Amino acid sequence: MFKTTPTARLMLHIANLMVIFFILLPVVAVFIGSIQSEKALQADTRRVLPLEVTFDNFRVILSKGEQKGRIFDQATYLPDNIKNFYVAFANSAIVAISVTVLTLLFGSLSAYTLARLRYRWTLFLLQANIVARFVPVIVLMIPLYVVMRSIGQLNSLTGVIIAETGFLLPYAILILAPYFDTIPGELEEAARIDGCTRFTAFVRIVLPLATPALAACGVIMFIISWHELLIPLILNARPNFMTLPVVIASLVGDVHVFFNLMMAICLLALAPTVILVALLQKYIVEGLSAGAVKG
Amino acid sequence: MNRVRLPWFRREMSAGRFALVMNLPTLLCLGLVLAYPVGYAAYLSVHRVGLAQLRRGEFAFTGWENYGRVLEDPLFWVAIKNTLIFTVITVGSEIVLAVAIALLINQAAIRTSRITRFLILLPYAIPPICNGLIWSFLYSFQFGFLNRILFSLGLISDPVNWAGNPDTALYAVTVPYIWRTLPFAIILVHAALQGIPRELYEQAAIDGANAWHRFTKITWPMLQQIIAIILILRTAFAFAVFEEILAITQGGPGDATWVAAWYSYKITFAPPNNFGMGSASAFILTLMVAAIALVYMRLIYRRVTL
Repeated sequence: MFKTTPTARLMLHIANLMVIFFILLPVVAVFIGSIQSEKALQADTRRVLPLEVTFDNFRVILSKGEQKGRIFDQATYLPDNIKNFYVAFANSAIVAISVTVLTLLFGSLSAYTLARLRYRWTLFLLQANIVARFVPVIVLMIPLYVVMRSIGQLNSLTGVIIAETGFLLPYAILILAPYFDTIPGELEEAARIDGCTRFTAFVRIVLPLATPALAACGVIMFIISWHELLIPLILNARPNFMTLPVVIASLVGDVHVFFNLMMAICLLALAPTVILVALLQKYIVEGLSAGAVKG
Repeated sequence: MNRVRLPWFRREMSAGRFALVMNLPTLLCLGLVLAYPVGYAAYLSVHRVGLAQLRRGEFAFTGWENYGRVLEDPLFWVAIKNTLIFTVITVGSEIVLAVAIALLINQAAIRTSRITRFLILLPYAIPPICNGLIWSFLYSFQFGFLNRILFSLGLISDPVNWAGNPDTALYAVTVPYIWRTLPFAIILVHAALQGIPRELYEQAAIDGANAWHRFTKITWPMLQQIIAIILILRTAFAFAVFEEILAITQGGPGDATWVAAWYSYKITFAPPNNFGMGSASAFILTLMVAAIALVYMRLIYRRVTL
């Protein structure tokens, strides 16, 4: 916007390189950590680049512990949770997709009416959603554990899906409501003159127009529920019902798991959302701004 | 005019009833998963609830006993102190960094700024628990990646125990948290920057204002609203930090990184599983966050700046 002097440009380049270094540092670490053996990591503790590159860490995880490769040839113990990778990945996907669908469905029904039909109670509900976003998960989890335990819903994906949907719904509404507010009301009025009910006008006219907001909200919901740890950690302790973050958390403090294997499973767990963010960056940026600024 | 009587599902509802029906799923979810548990947590917090009581399903009323025990527990105050330090450091750094980086990526003419802008959202994609583990690899005393880099650059001659030293551990865990949550703040500030009319800057340039004046007289006042919002949201969320603590230090070394959410978690879900005390401590955390939420409501509904 303004003419910059060569010195100023140089300073800006240096600042950018520092930021880029900071952003990429953990990503480089997880990658380099995952492509070497425990021996290589221990042999030279001052070396940045790997002594030799191997994919055995991924092989042992993806083959459920059957193909041990050279690294794990002599390993007598592998945590069962690592062998359960596919189950955990599937559980994570089931939970994240269900939560995304449910929050989009319930969220758009609510957000539309809260944005369009202004009553005292709809305004109150909108405010309740804003406050609900602040509730710390931990305060919900203690009573939810007690309740789920007493109704026998511990160790079930349904319990986790219900808990996460309820927890994320307020945020979904806050992302969607400002967008519905910008769609001109005349469109629905025209549709209603042509014989649509309020609901069909919503489904046929408003929802198709709101696709970008639904995409923004959907991808954010998917990412948050893919990342959620505390809810499934407390509700699902059995291996068959663990999600990926729970499996990864179970490796913390396991003395038999070294960084190479941890980094490999982390890389596999973070790949889906990194791909999503790379592809849908524009929508996420819009969704994050919408959800924070307007009520 | 003849009115045709339509079947019930074709008939138009009143707007009020329509709004109610459309909000039923939300009301059900909010009631079931938010309102009821918060109320039930309050109930648990004034009863004696351990594993034995859970098995029997009978909780004895104890009044304020759980709150008393929490407030008398020195570890609780350590956790509160650590939470406050953690929050002040993370939120403060995030706001400074977010404004600086947002200004940086706003320089579309600088090629490296476009690269930064492309990468800025990457940390948002990393699961918090993975972020924690990755940083525990970075910080590792013997095998850590950070020490390897510093050795290679010749900046250190002995390994540094980043997260294992009680004096520095709390500061060490703030960095991963800042790293993961910074994109959110940058994106909000950047969006606000792009909303500032260019004419303001052009007029200022004609009037001979330098870069510093342009920042203090135009940019900063125009950013105040969004910075207040970020301040409140990030403070509320930093109060409940959990994953990075679990992955990197598990509260250690000693009690150096016990924070409020970790306290409630350990009291409740580690032996001797005191659900009553855990609920009481979680409820205290909620009250603090609720106070922050009220400030937020005032802010976005009355448009007052901090």
